[in-house]
Amino acid sequence: MKIEGKYKFLASQEQIWDLFMDQKNLEKAIPGCEKMEEREPGKYDVLLKIGIAAIKGTYTGKVEVVDPEPPNRYRLLGEGSGNPGFVKGEATIEFSQEGQHTIVSYQGDMQVGGLIAGIGQRMIGGIAKMMAGQFFKKMAKELKSQQ
Amino acid sequence: MKPSAFEYFTASTVAEAISLLERYEDEAKIIAGGQSLVPMMNFRVAQPEVLIDINGIKELDYIRQEDDEIVIGALTRERDVELSPLVQEKCPILAEAISLIGHASIRTRGTIGGSLVHADPAAEIPVAIYGLDAKMKVVGPSGERTLEPEEFFLSYLTTSLEPSEILVEVRIPVLPQKTGWSFVELTRRRGDFYIVAVASILFMGKGGVCKEARICLGGVGPTSIRAEEAEEILAGQVITDALIEKAGQKAAEAADPESDYHASAEYRRDMTRVFVQRGLAEARNRAKGG
Amino acid sequence: MPEHLKTFEHKKRNWVGKPLKRKEDLRLLTGRGTFMDDIRLPDMKHAATLRSPYPHAWIKGINVSEALNFPGVRGILTGEDVAKMSNPFPVGVPVPPKYYCCAIDKVRFVGEPVAVVVADDRYVAEDALDLITVDYEPLPVVMDIEEAMSPEAPVLHDNIGSNIYSHRFFQYGDMDKAYKEADLVVKGKFHFPKYGSTPIETYGVIASYNPFSEEFVIYNNYQGPFVNHSLVAIALGIPENKMRWIVPTDIGGGFGTKTGLYPSIALIALAAKKTGMTVKWIEDRREHLLASATGTDRVTYMEAAVKKDGTILGLKDKAIDNTGGYIRAPEPGCAYRSTGNHTGGYQIRNLDREVLVVGTNKCLTAPNRGYTCQELYFSLERMIDLVASELGMDTAEIRFKNFIQPDQFPYTTATGGIYDAGDYQKVFQMALDKIDYKKMREEQRKAREQGRLMGIGFSTVVDPSVTNIAYVTLALTPEERAKGHPKSGSGEAVIIKMDPLGKVHVIACTNPQGQGHDTVISQIVADELGVHPDDVTVSNVVDTHDRVYSITTGSYSSRFSSVVTTAVVTAARRLTEKMLKIAAHLLEANVKELEIQEGKICVKGSPDKSMQMRHVAGTAHWNQAALPEGMDAGLYETCLYTMPTSQPPDELDRVNSSNTYGFMAEAIVVEVDPETGEVKILKWASVHDAGTILNPALLEGQVMGSCAHGLGGSLYEEWAYDENGQCITASFQDYLVPTAMEVPKIDIGHVEIPSPITALGSKGAGESSCMSVPACIGNAIADALAPLGVTISELPLSPNKIWHLIQKAKKKR
Repeated sequence: MKIEGKYKFLASQEQIWDLFMDQKNLEKAIPGCEKMEEREPGKYDVLLKIGIAAIKGTYTGKVEVVDPEPPNRYRLLGEGSGNPGFVKGEATIEFSQEGQHTIVSYQGDMQVGGLIAGIGQRMIGGIAKMMAGQFFKKMAKELKSQQ
Repeated sequence: MKPSAFEYFTASTVAEAISLLERYEDEAKIIAGGQSLVPMMNFRVAQPEVLIDINGIKELDYIRQEDDEIVIGALTRERDVELSPLVQEKCPILAEAISLIGHASIRTRGTIGGSLVHADPAAEIPVAIYGLDAKMKVVGPSGERTLEPEEFFLSYLTTSLEPSEILVEVRIPVLPQKTGWSFVELTRRRGDFYIVAVASILFMGKGGVCKEARICLGGVGPTSIRAEEAEEILAGQVITDALIEKAGQKAAEAADPESDYHASAEYRRDMTRVFVQRGLAEARNRAKGG
Repeated sequence: MPEHLKTFEHKKRNWVGKPLKRKEDLRLLTGRGTFMDDIRLPDMKHAATLRSPYPHAWIKGINVSEALNFPGVRGILTGEDVAKMSNPFPVGVPVPPKYYCCAIDKVRFVGEPVAVVVADDRYVAEDALDLITVDYEPLPVVMDIEEAMSPEAPVLHDNIGSNIYSHRFFQYGDMDKAYKEADLVVKGKFHFPKYGSTPIETYGVIASYNPFSEEFVIYNNYQGPFVNHSLVAIALGIPENKMRWIVPTDIGGGFGTKTGLYPSIALIALAAKKTGMTVKWIEDRREHLLASATGTDRVTYMEAAVKKDGTILGLKDKAIDNTGGYIRAPEPGCAYRSTGNHTGGYQIRNLDREVLVVGTNKCLTAPNRGYTCQELYFSLERMIDLVASELGMDTAEIRFKNFIQPDQFPYTTATGGIYDAGDYQKVFQMALDKIDYKKMREEQRKAREQGRLMGIGFSTVVDPSVTNIAYVTLALTPEERAKGHPKSGSGEAVIIKMDPLGKVHVIACTNPQGQGHDTVISQIVADELGVHPDDVTVSNVVDTHDRVYSITTGSYSSRFSSVVTTAVVTAARRLTEKMLKIAAHLLEANVKELEIQEGKICVKGSPDKSMQMRHVAGTAHWNQAALPEGMDAGLYETCLYTMPTSQPPDELDRVNSSNTYGFMAEAIVVEVDPETGEVKILKWASVHDAGTILNPALLEGQVMGSCAHGLGGSLYEEWAYDENGQCITASFQDYLVPTAMEVPKIDIGHVEIPSPITALGSKGAGESSCMSVPACIGNAIADALAPLGVTISELPLSPNKIWHLIQKAKKKR
């Protein structure tokens, strides 16, 4: 399933680039992220407890930052598997300056497999979009607390 | 399709339920009718460690009128609300919405509170509640609070209920006589989750003028959506076919639909238009006494 | 039936043809049926199956240690065990994939079994599933039928090297000549969806293994054919007599889906062998909607060479069937089973066929109510309408123009099918009359003036019943067949016993799945032996040790009404013949002088020289010395009957792939909502020739059911996958089976053109409208949308899909 969107931050492009490259911020912003450990530079092992209301699942997986082109764009790869199934995604994240703001736009593809895919297809698209939104809201919160 | 193991408690008062919720927090799930929760547990997409059965809290099962509100306890069965003469007379749009939920056997177990807290984006009751501007009364360890629909419904399957709070009551303004209303939906089969649903309410003034319109959309966003710009097109006007057409087009712009296997986003958006138009025509008819 | 038994033909039928209430209903309606899940055996344990969440992946490793230690777990079977304990299933293609009952090193569809946990109860077994970790290495998927054939596509089976399981060309008649003589060639491409029958009762197996005698005993709700008992024996590496299958009295629906049970039988048998336990597995609904069985999805390219007057001179078609991650028996029947009736009810003598059977990462297939005919007739009947449209001809007229004529029966088709009897004109005319066709065209004209989208659709199709297993060998070329062993036949076994008081018990093995066979058998035997249906009891299940059955035994391809009834009648007449011989002996008369009148056997013309039939019965049991010399005691007759019209294919690839051929004419009038794309059915006539009607009430039920089934495939049901290979219709929330609210009123009609080759003249009836309805609704909607320039070439036609077709057509203009 395709996901895409834009988010606006009141900060310079370099500040936003650093914000997004900082593992501590990612750990706080990624929905349900309980643990994030760097194996190699740019490669992280993650433990995610993602859920909506009563529907919760624990996923172990990896997140990888690839092809970084500071401060303009990079690709993010992620995958996790758990009892409810697996999640796999990749996104290209682009940064551009617009006056005092930096626009972060993302375009990606997400695969959901297993139980949730079989019975939850009517909500998966919307929930993925919602979680992407949560990620950016949390990043904005981190930015604010650092400023 | 067998659930995972859980501990089971019954609560016979609201206070008991709250203290159990406080003890177990987000490990616990309340079970009333179970019509949404049990399938999720059987599929193991929900695996609560603790179930708190509130079917014994009889004090939450009531329908009555208090001044100009119809007040319904959270544990009231959907079928009872649907068939209640009071509801059919004073807020008939709710009875109509409920009659479209699943099948009668499901409605004899499902509760109005359960449906609201479950907050399925394709459920009928939330759409009617938004359209009616009803209020939700919620009780927790720190007391009581009353929430507007926008405060209560946050997103897919998510309300603003704290882990130790329980919904106890819904308060619905009585609709004046001669109010036009309709609840229409597009489903694949009778009783299915809808593709789009529209609740329309037309508060009428003198001379056939619509004082205020409410158009509420379901199935085209994470929660129900009030199509406010479409509502404004009708406010203070005599409702003509041309205005209905315009309102439908405007409402489609307010929709924020996703695509899924059954319906693309474009289709949902256009069906928003079509069903707003059909719903408003039906509501206008009722306002005329038809 | 032996010729001499035909002389017992009844002039008056007291019971056959009457709408007798079903004997089965009392026990079913009071909860006293015996289904798989009702069977409880001592010390029985329960299995749960771990299934792949990936459509295509290597299995790098499975760790079951945590699961094994979970309290209540008795043992776990993995692919590694299965590879050691069994062989791949044989299947009739030149280079078969290695299909085991469990994934070994690779998974090829979401839902494929990966391991089985045996535990004290199903709850614990499922808890243990959550503790098994599997290391998958995902691979690229292939989901599209035509993409699967491309050399760039991911290959599912390295030992095959491509995704093509079967590929053959057939030529009948002279298609080149047809093209030369044609005034016009009309082309079409059609896509038939993957869908199934979702019987209300899912698969069930209870297996146990005796390590001393090395014998399996397996209770299961398999519907036949028992060819697959042999296949499972080969897979388990045992002789057939070391594996006993027992089917319970009641099965909650088969529809062909329960022919796909046999791999699960092998899987649970191995779980029983490994753990030493008696193991029960009841498939849950989610498992069913992921990994049971569907019909194939199919892409068809078709060309018709036609004359201006509507005569269809020849057809060229290329059909590509998708059997999913593997191919398993009875596939590639999907491509070959309908060979004999490929040209339907039309006089089309020239045919070029290219047949492909391919694999993608979808779940596997089995015969699905109508087995291949739904796919075939969707293409053929849509094509007829396309031709009519090109020629500006009425869609009813073109069918009459091309039908086989009543005086041409028995009619041998270009492909070797021998149509036994029919009057297609009569059946179709009845359907036209029922919808008041002329009036409907007039109403359509008016509706179109108002911008309303009203459409009329037909489909007129031949219903092939009683499969001749010879068709399986069409996957081989004539040269390859000549080297091997021929296959043919469509047999069935029945035993009839009469007790000393003249009451009757019938032992059949049709494994009924709700058709009411026991009731019909009682009616037939009552007529034959002059008793009351209440005097007849029936046991009707297979026990491979204790029952006499044939390799083709089972209920599939609607064979009960043809071959089973003939076997019942034959056995009954053998019993009658024996009773007459006994009576002749006791009355000191010649057998030829005897007649049967109201329960008495008498000498013609001497009414006082007679015997009660029950006294004959009593003598046969109690006074064996009084019987004619050399005659066996008792009253017990067997018939193992196979239809003589079941022959192997000839060297020109012609085969009578079925034995009796009924006919349906479906006429449906629809209106499409131009705003929402919703389809409303205004009128529906469904007319059937199933030969002699055995029980009109039962037939009505069958027709209603098959109509509802066909409606499902036309508008609602699809086994859907996303582009990543995930099955997204794994619950009834999304797999939309029509309910009573969706099925409109159907005007059902009957025309009885008896078959000359069955004892009672009956032909098959149970699959019927399932084959004709998807084509008919497709035609009706195409007719409705014709003014908008929309063509219909795929199903199901959801409102969303129709809306998109309408928008697309609007943009083109």
